[in-house]
Amino acid sequence: MEIAYYPGCSLHASSELYDIQCKMVFRNLDVELKEIEDWNCCGATAASKMNDFLAVALPARNLGIAAATGLSEIVIPCSSCYSRTLVSQKRLSCDPDLKNTINAELIRKVEGDIKVSSILEVLKPKVISGKIAEKAKKKLDGLKPACYYGCLLTRFPCDVEVPDDVENPQGMETVCRALGAAPVDWSYKTDCCGASASVNDADQSQLLMSRIMKDAVARGANCFVATCPLCQFNLDAYQQKVGEKYGIEKQLPVYFITELIGLSMGFDPIEMQVDRHFTDAMGLLKELKLI
Amino acid sequence: MSSTVLKYEATAAQPFLDEITSRSGQNLQACYQCRRCAAGCPVGEETGVTPDRLIRLILVGDRETALNNLLVWKCVACYTCGTRCPNNIQTARITETLKQMSKAAHLEPLTPRIADFHASFMSAVRHLGRFNELEGLTIYETKTAGKELSKGEIKGVAGEMITQMRLALKMIKKKRLHLGLDKVRGTAEVKALFKKAEGR
Repeated sequence: MEIAYYPGCSLHASSELYDIQCKMVFRNLDVELKEIEDWNCCGATAASKMNDFLAVALPARNLGIAAATGLSEIVIPCSSCYSRTLVSQKRLSCDPDLKNTINAELIRKVEGDIKVSSILEVLKPKVISGKIAEKAKKKLDGLKPACYYGCLLTRFPCDVEVPDDVENPQGMETVCRALGAAPVDWSYKTDCCGASASVNDADQSQLLMSRIMKDAVARGANCFVATCPLCQFNLDAYQQKVGEKYGIEKQLPVYFITELIGLSMGFDPIEMQVDRHFTDAMGLLKELKLI
Repeated sequence: MSSTVLKYEATAAQPFLDEITSRSGQNLQACYQCRRCAAGCPVGEETGVTPDRLIRLILVGDRETALNNLLVWKCVACYTCGTRCPNNIQTARITETLKQMSKAAHLEPLTPRIADFHASFMSAVRHLGRFNELEGLTIYETKTAGKELSKGEIKGVAGEMITQMRLALKMIKKKRLHLGLDKVRGTAEVKALFKKAEGR
């Protein structure tokens, strides 16, 4: 099975490990990721704050490139890129004038409606079909993840079909259970980590992160799992600082969902760059004898 | 702010309401002040003005406060307000609209760092078609440091530099800092989209 792939800027920079892991995991699930050529930045939150036209036009160029591949589905692992691209597609389909205006500037025009999928939308059928269980060599016994979705996997600024429960999504839990992990039930799975506020409004973002971290610890989680590179980066890189500031004694590793799948598939953690986390992510795996 | 008595003149309020309704695509008049948005807003405690109050300010025509309040700037675009609104009003679209109107009116942002961050992000994307963390953050830090130094805020700038240097060192240690610059071949196409955006 071939599927178009949009990594986005983070996966080509600070979250390169996520890009590597996605490729490793999907290949093993017999899904060939075809990275669309010469993609551009989706504009992220900045474009929607600064300019309504660019918020639609930047992802539109990528949708045009994706359409030219002739593939029927595109997977976008970053929640922000996924949300912005899906919203752009929706706006274009509701506004033919805007679509014509943007298409006039594009070499590869937006046409048709390629299915824009989050990583969970591609993984969930692989759980249901038994493919993940078939490829999982190792059960992730003892792993109690707090599955963290953040904002943009289930909440959209316009009317699009949400592929999971809005307030209490279960996609990540479904994958984790198939791997033998025991995800905890908790209250902050769709709360905001502050996203780029960690840079431009640090106190605010750290307050939001402290609530997320406190609840995960209180519910007995021994790690976080995320699919969004920015959520992952924030909880990972700022956890020590936020913990000190708000008196949270325990620090939890923040895994990408692909790291857990890869581990159960028996991939080498170093090859998956699990040692590149800010909050130690190797120790817990050793402690649980998972590596 | 909560004790302020709002003045309402229907004819004076209408054009502002119409402008925001049309630009944001949201039906503000459907708001019946149930405040579910306020209950879910992650920054509401800090901003004072919550999504419901922002809608109220627009309905009564208080243009000045609607364009100058912390919610417009600190909104993290989590879309909780819109998701929980029983009348499907997406207030985050309203804050985005107000931010753009505030910029068009050349108003001084209440939180310059947030405004500078988004502007720097877009400059970086316009330049190479992709957001390169090192480039974007350099533009941002230079911009904010310049402004803050001109106001004599030396301590704040020094603190920010130390914080960011520490993060950069941590990233180098963990091999998470990407030094190369990613560039789109079709930068002309991307620039054309930016150019078109200016005229709209």
